[in-house]
Amino acid sequence: MAVTLAGRRRQIEQLTRCNPISEEQVKRLCFKAREILIEEANVQVVDSPVTICGDIHGQFYDLMELFKVGGFCPETNYLFMGDFVDRGFYSVETFLLLLALKVRYPDRITLIRGNHESRQITQVYGFYDECVRKYGSTNVWRWCCEVFDYLALAAIVDGRVFCVHGGLSPNLQSIDQIRAIDRKQEVPHDGPMCDLLWSDPDEISGWGISPRGAGFLFGSDITKKFAHENAIDLIARAHQLAMEGYKLMFDGTIVTVWSAPNYCYRCGNVASILELDEHLAQEYKVFTHAPSDVRSIPAKRPLADYFL
Amino acid sequence: MDQAFNVDDIAPIAVLIDELRSEEVQLRLNAIHSIPTIALALGPDRARNELIPFLQDSVDDEDEVLLALAEELGRNFEEYIGGPQYAYVLLGPLENLSAVEETLVRDKAAESIAKIAGVLSPLQVEEYYIPLLKRLSQGEWFTSRTSSAALYAPVYQKVSPALQEQLRKGFAALGADHTPMVRRAAARSLGGFVKTLSKQHVLTDGLPIYRRLHGDDQDSVRLLTVEDLITIAQQLTPQEIKEQLLKQIRVTVSDKSWRVRYMAATHFNELAEAVGVELVREELIGQYVQLLKDNEAEVRTAAAGQIPGFSKLLDREVILARIIPCVRDLSHDTSQHVRAALANQISGLAPLLGREATVENLLPLFLHLLKDEFPEVRLNVISKLQTVNGVIDIELLSGSLLPAILELAEDKSWRVRQAIIEYIPLLATQLGKPFFDEQLGNLCMSWLGDTVFSIREAATINLKKLTEVFGVEWARVAIVPKVMGMGQHPNYLYRMTTVQAIATISPSLTLPIIQSEIIGPLLQLAADPIPNIRFNVSKALEILATTCGSTAEGREFIQQKVVPALEQQKNDVDADVRYFSVRALQKALSVIGMSG
Repeated sequence: MAVTLAGRRRQIEQLTRCNPISEEQVKRLCFKAREILIEEANVQVVDSPVTICGDIHGQFYDLMELFKVGGFCPETNYLFMGDFVDRGFYSVETFLLLLALKVRYPDRITLIRGNHESRQITQVYGFYDECVRKYGSTNVWRWCCEVFDYLALAAIVDGRVFCVHGGLSPNLQSIDQIRAIDRKQEVPHDGPMCDLLWSDPDEISGWGISPRGAGFLFGSDITKKFAHENAIDLIARAHQLAMEGYKLMFDGTIVTVWSAPNYCYRCGNVASILELDEHLAQEYKVFTHAPSDVRSIPAKRPLADYFL
Repeated sequence: MDQAFNVDDIAPIAVLIDELRSEEVQLRLNAIHSIPTIALALGPDRARNELIPFLQDSVDDEDEVLLALAEELGRNFEEYIGGPQYAYVLLGPLENLSAVEETLVRDKAAESIAKIAGVLSPLQVEEYYIPLLKRLSQGEWFTSRTSSAALYAPVYQKVSPALQEQLRKGFAALGADHTPMVRRAAARSLGGFVKTLSKQHVLTDGLPIYRRLHGDDQDSVRLLTVEDLITIAQQLTPQEIKEQLLKQIRVTVSDKSWRVRYMAATHFNELAEAVGVELVREELIGQYVQLLKDNEAEVRTAAAGQIPGFSKLLDREVILARIIPCVRDLSHDTSQHVRAALANQISGLAPLLGREATVENLLPLFLHLLKDEFPEVRLNVISKLQTVNGVIDIELLSGSLLPAILELAEDKSWRVRQAIIEYIPLLATQLGKPFFDEQLGNLCMSWLGDTVFSIREAATINLKKLTEVFGVEWARVAIVPKVMGMGQHPNYLYRMTTVQAIATISPSLTLPIIQSEIIGPLLQLAADPIPNIRFNVSKALEILATTCGSTAEGREFIQQKVVPALEQQKNDVDADVRYFSVRALQKALSVIGMSG
């Protein structure tokens, strides 16, 4: 049963060419990934230097573009803040590549959970359909969803940069409270775990109702208080399209990092990654979508209705 | 997925037949791809008598499934139903598939029918294929008639003269069909059909069909006749072309639809070669100039792409008198795509013109294009400089070349920067060492500190290539110190460049340089605080071990420097450093012959 390191490297090479691996290989990969992820904390501790990335959404060729700009793993350390799947054409290849890198280089790449890493959401926004289309059964989707349940909810870099997919929760004042959540479950409809994956910062004071129907809106005061009380310099999050690739708010206490250029192959936005060096200096690298001569959009396939 | 099915693993046939009837598209698709397995298990007789009729009835399915079926039946499927003598049985289901609505399915079905034509005996062709072809050609719905056009050529030469005559008439009818879809199919297949005709029938039958399509009122039909024109011209003598086709050539080039003119421009060199040198000089040169001056940028772009190829057929004086004035206009074209296409081709004129005429006529245009506002135009000029260099001294260009390169080198798009880096070694060979050192040396080093990883990587590969051009002594003085300097950078991503540059360039250096300049700084990086740097040092040491192992001095160096460093690294706190250092250590030890 054991897969050798050379075998894992071959798997990574195959996935890097956007060729899916066999169903049996997916099964083993997911099993191994769970073994590794179960050891990680709800708030995974990460050392600098690390490059922080936002939503990818199955845009495989744009993920390759990201690596061309930021460097490949394991040479560059990466932290992906969720939403690997749905909407793009290559969610299967995208998630499996990131997972294969995680399994081969667990210390070099961190994956945390986004609101799309959920059974309910993936059945609506494309990942489920893609798995069935590419493998002819729901097995791959089920195994991936089991992995989703084990993904960390947040990460903290050198104790100073807090990374989460969505944002804050009125039920969570300290990072330690996140550590007490039992995360190994489907994303709930409400409560602190849901909020971390669904909330958005907004130009309001205090807390607000989120138009998304899950999570909350939180203002500058909430953000600064959380940062102060937890002794952090920056909250890095994803979850919202930023046309310029990233968006700093609230005097630089929170940043949205968005890593899906030309989102849904039509939004016309640029993307970015946030390079934190070993002194936590921030550098945003902006990049555009992959040139159209690579197969970024399959030739003949009707657009599914889960596009914007 | 294909892998999910193992052809050797003969699953119960009932299950697969069930899957062919399944509700799930994916299951039916998988089942279709395993029909060879089903056929193999059924044996030739039952496959022929039960499976094929079953497939023939299953035409009412999703396009994806039908496409798969059309494809499978053309993959030597006759082997499963009793051999080539039974291949005609496959025509049944394929005939049905050639009549469906989806073009992809029909095209694939026609492709498979054409393959089967190859294994039928002449008698079977007459008995089964010709009737099928007639049914399709006279089908009520345009779909089957469209499919039939591609099916004439495969059998024409296999049948009797009487039938050949019927086929020619049948094809002519398609060319005069009342739906444009069928006429388009006829125009697309006419070239292939004409190739099978005798010379006499090309003139008596092929030409009238071509003329009919060429005069079609739909431009989507007319544009497809450009390739037919070329194929027919290839079958005729220059005299016949002059008599039979000259009018059509003129009409095509000045067609009122730009799409037709675009097709003519795109295929102009093929046309020129087909009609022969005499007609090129008398007639085509005028047509070509007309295309270069076309109102539509697309047409000018396509025509610009043919410049050197077409000019090869002309005398030098004619190029100067007729082509060069157009080239001069195109270099000032309002469309960047036209200028980019020109920039890509213009250097091809230099060898045709010779030194003096190049300096006089092309040099000003090179200089002009090198200042173009669009990077692609400048890049295209630079990418083709080696063609010019054989004719004139490139230093004539260097005054303009340098600012162009410098600007491209700082373009905000990293792909433009990457493109210019890739031309640097070529420029280096042409410009020579002194010019390079003075003007481009610093630029090459600055790319090592680019913010984009791919540029830093391209920069190291560039330095390796430059080392091969200018030699190791040059590399020791000009590049090694600067590469090593990056190893002090406060950001690990830039220190990584030093480590990766060492791995890339070392195989092109010599042992003394590695010993005096490289190994010291590299071993310092072996103790870097960031694990990513440390395990890349392991990888670099592995490459040094491989590179240096061929001499006794090299093996001593590995023993004294490389092995101890790796011995220390293999106890690192980081798992990746341990993995890569152990792997490198095994390599180093095997190179120096101390077990592997």
